[in-house]
Amino acid sequence: MIGIADVVIGLSLGSRLFLIAVGLSLIFGVLGVLNFAHGGFYMLGAYVTLAVISNVIDNFWIAAVVGALAVGVVGAAIEFSAIRRLYDRVDSDLDQLIVTFGFVLVIHETVRFIWGSGSYSIDPPDVFNFSVSLGGSTFNAYRLVAIGLAVAVLVGLWLFITRTYFGSLVRGTSSDREMAAMLGVDVPRLYTGVFFLGSVLAGLGGALSAPLQATSPALGDQVIITAFIVVVIGGFGSISGAFVGAMLIGMMQSLGPQFISSGSIAIPFLAMVIVLLLRPEGLFGGIGE
Amino acid sequence: MSATGIGGRVSQFGSAVAEGWTRERFGLIGAVALVLITFGPPFQVYLFTDFLVVALFALGFNLLYGYTGLLSFGHGLFYAGGAYGIAIVLRDLGPIIADIVGAGISPLVTFVVGGVVGLVLVVVVAVPVGWLSVRLEEIYFALITLAFGMLGYSLIIQDPAGLTNGTDGVIVLLGTVDLGGTSIRIGGRRLYYVISAVTVVAATYGVWRVVNSPFGTVCKAIRESPDRAGALGINVRHHRWMTFIISAAIVGIAGVLRAGLASVASPGLTHWSTSAIAVIATVIGGATYFYGPIVGAFIFLYIRWAISRFPTLEAYWELFFGVLLIAVVLFFKQGAVGGLYLLRDRLFGEGDIGGANGGGGGAFDAGSQVTTPPDEEAKSSNGDVRTDRGDNS
Repeated sequence: MIGIADVVIGLSLGSRLFLIAVGLSLIFGVLGVLNFAHGGFYMLGAYVTLAVISNVIDNFWIAAVVGALAVGVVGAAIEFSAIRRLYDRVDSDLDQLIVTFGFVLVIHETVRFIWGSGSYSIDPPDVFNFSVSLGGSTFNAYRLVAIGLAVAVLVGLWLFITRTYFGSLVRGTSSDREMAAMLGVDVPRLYTGVFFLGSVLAGLGGALSAPLQATSPALGDQVIITAFIVVVIGGFGSISGAFVGAMLIGMMQSLGPQFISSGSIAIPFLAMVIVLLLRPEGLFGGIGE
Repeated sequence: MSATGIGGRVSQFGSAVAEGWTRERFGLIGAVALVLITFGPPFQVYLFTDFLVVALFALGFNLLYGYTGLLSFGHGLFYAGGAYGIAIVLRDLGPIIADIVGAGISPLVTFVVGGVVGLVLVVVVAVPVGWLSVRLEEIYFALITLAFGMLGYSLIIQDPAGLTNGTDGVIVLLGTVDLGGTSIRIGGRRLYYVISAVTVVAATYGVWRVVNSPFGTVCKAIRESPDRAGALGINVRHHRWMTFIISAAIVGIAGVLRAGLASVASPGLTHWSTSAIAVIATVIGGATYFYGPIVGAFIFLYIRWAISRFPTLEAYWELFFGVLLIAVVLFFKQGAVGGLYLLRDRLFGEGDIGGANGGGGGAFDAGSQVTTPPDEEAKSSNGDVRTDRGDNS
């Protein structure tokens, strides 16, 4: 029997997936880089938030913003120092994938070095830390906040990409990099900017889901594969696709085990294979959609 | 005829060894080293066996990556396929085989049958998986192989058919061969090393023959430019499919050996992080060289071992390989083997290259063979020199 709590949990799982996947998708759509380290960014966001809360200031929202921005800086630094060197190579795609995989190892080990292998958890901010009873099932009110914030990010990002000047530069560069450069767009700076934005979103995802899950160094490795599935299903570069894909996978993770007793964790991968074969551009089209 | 043929070959081999640092001399030294390691300390024998298995795993992976330009993040599937194939045969068919051939030599027969079953299983899986995967290229190929690998991982973990024993994996007991009084443990470190060494050397030779066959030449043409190869009448997709299957089979053999070495076939073998080991070893060693994955696997295993000697560093060995991987891709794409060739050129001078037997060829000689695909712009291929693999042609 599906309770409302299952749906809310599914949507909140989808929300955190959306925040990772949308950055991953944006970076791929504009830069053509599949950032393997994006799960690491997500994990790093959670850790920085936890560290700020326990050491600097006991305010979840400030800590979350600090966490997200810190991850953005790390991401921009990685783009600037490493990935940038690869754009002009003939087979740059795979080299970028391998380099960002190198950063997966580096981030994972650095986090382990600083915070150890154990897992941490925090309570949701006090204002929302109460139980909601709805239709006979109970869940934490913070889950609703997480879902609301994901929707806010979706709307904000969509407005940013489709309505602002910077957004038009992003769309233009994504469809024709050379032409954009000739028209005076500072492509390298734009790339770093987009990478920063994507990393901030991943960090934010990690920060906001810190109260909902145990934070451990293995978090990044688990979540990146799911994020790949979301991006493939939603379509590379598509913001709305990332949202729909993330919610779909979140619901699958929450409800799937109730319908299929064995083999349920295989379904997302099967879906990924099928979408890649039949519609490699994803179920929803390109950037700005 | 054959006797003089063999004699002639032996003397030819001898003179080639005496001539200088030729392929033959390296081969002889390698063979002697392989034999000597049998008598080393038990742990070193184990570590070297581990190296050989990882080397074969990476070599199989690189057949696809280095030779057709397809990066698979799902070769763990075939690694596990071989391991589970032999593990399940040992678990379920051991008693049946003992009834047929007698208890004495049945462990040996079961081991061989298990290895063959593992290999067949891998090929059976690789045929459809490869057929579907080679429809995609570049990043999409990496993603679909990742998805297939994780699909296999999910199925092994959740075990809908009741064969794989879930997260615990299947225990591998190789058993003891009893020959009227003398009993030999197949899983004993030295014997297992000998079995592994013979298998890995034979498989490596097989791969080497494939790479240097007309088929391998076509693969290289595809790597250099799929479009141009297609224009020349080569069925690119079909060749990639065949290479995928051969590559998977080689990895499957490595998986069979892995199961016996680790005494367990565990689901972790299918996980993408296992597939990544082949990527790390190959890239560090130098994907454009035949021996790159082998040298890379050596570096991977022995540096990890060296790091493990320092308790404070032990937990962080992945950090080292992460940094190394980034550095190699960014600054020195030729990897360790390219570095060795560069070192040789510095030490012995340029004149020595391309000497007798074309022994390896200079790392940068073939730089002039760089072909730019017609549809690609002449971009500066920073550190991306296409190199010859030291083929013997």
